[in-house]
Amino acid sequence: MSQDIKTLRNRIKSVNSTLHLTKAMGLVASSKIRRAVEGMIKSKEYAEALHKTVDTLTSCRECHNSVYLQERPAERLRIIVVAGDKGMAGGYNAGIFRFMRDFPNAEIIAIGKRACDRYNLDFCSSEYFPVSKAYEIAVKQCKDFEDGLYDKLAVVSTRYVSALSQVPEFTEVLPLKKTKGKSDSVIFEPDEMTILNSVVTEYVAGVLTQLVRESFACEVAARRAAMDSAGKNATEIIESLQLSYNRARQGAITQEITEIVAGSGL
Amino acid sequence: MREYNLTVSSPDGNIFCGNVVAVYARGIEGDLAILAGHAPFVTFLKPCEVRIEFNDLNEIKGKVDGGILSVSDNGVILQSSSFRMI
Repeated sequence: MSQDIKTLRNRIKSVNSTLHLTKAMGLVASSKIRRAVEGMIKSKEYAEALHKTVDTLTSCRECHNSVYLQERPAERLRIIVVAGDKGMAGGYNAGIFRFMRDFPNAEIIAIGKRACDRYNLDFCSSEYFPVSKAYEIAVKQCKDFEDGLYDKLAVVSTRYVSALSQVPEFTEVLPLKKTKGKSDSVIFEPDEMTILNSVVTEYVAGVLTQLVRESFACEVAARRAAMDSAGKNATEIIESLQLSYNRARQGAITQEITEIVAGSGL
Repeated sequence: MREYNLTVSSPDGNIFCGNVVAVYARGIEGDLAILAGHAPFVTFLKPCEVRIEFNDLNEIKGKVDGGILSVSDNGVILQSSSFRMI
């Protein structure tokens, strides 16, 4: 009986320390979430402005011959996978890797420690992802696309729907899509093709920065939700263990009293 | 003088958004000034000092290492990853 009480006491202590840990992690995630969402919104503004410029260019007939608008059979797919730097974020990382099962033959570029570890690639942080790193990746990918080393570039990241809902998403980046619009009256300096070829790097870098920042906001939101739920579970477990502990303790006391009364020979 | 809407956008968000009278910058083919009513126009910027002029004759200056300047009917957008106010 005393063994039971001791075990229960140890378990309560252990679950209690886990509860403290989840609370602390939840608080850290809460403090990060505002900054992460702000960063996501700001980079979205930039990406939208880039989308508008690229749409103007891709609607030009002169640009339709550009290598960046040539549709090729998508046999060689290159995917930039954006996952988190840390775990303990519910199904956030698992969702991305489950989504990636649909592309077993794709060439992978990983962003985020979890993705780098999974695909055995060099470490690239998703939390601290500077614009310069996005440009570095964009320049290389644009050059490889021009050289015909792959046919399609896409990003697998997570879309931020709300603080409680995040969805893995596949975003095609290259080749660019031909659009229909009014570009006849637009003056291009020096010419459409030169601007398009220069804008593509900015575009890829801008889109990548936006998707990485959105994914980070998703990671933090998912972690907060997971920690909230873990905290609730820990509280429930503690309550149930406390009940068992009290029952065992009461049982031991009752037994002791019964033994004493029996031993006294009254 | 007539005003138009200018947005200076960077990956860290919009650095500036408001009504201005003129923007002076160095395009790929030389110095340029954008006033209200300019025809739709897209160009690349060289590393330069960008001057933004307001109706009350005040102005602000910034430095860019490059970027895209696009003029449309809705206003002017300057996109640069390296815009720094000076």
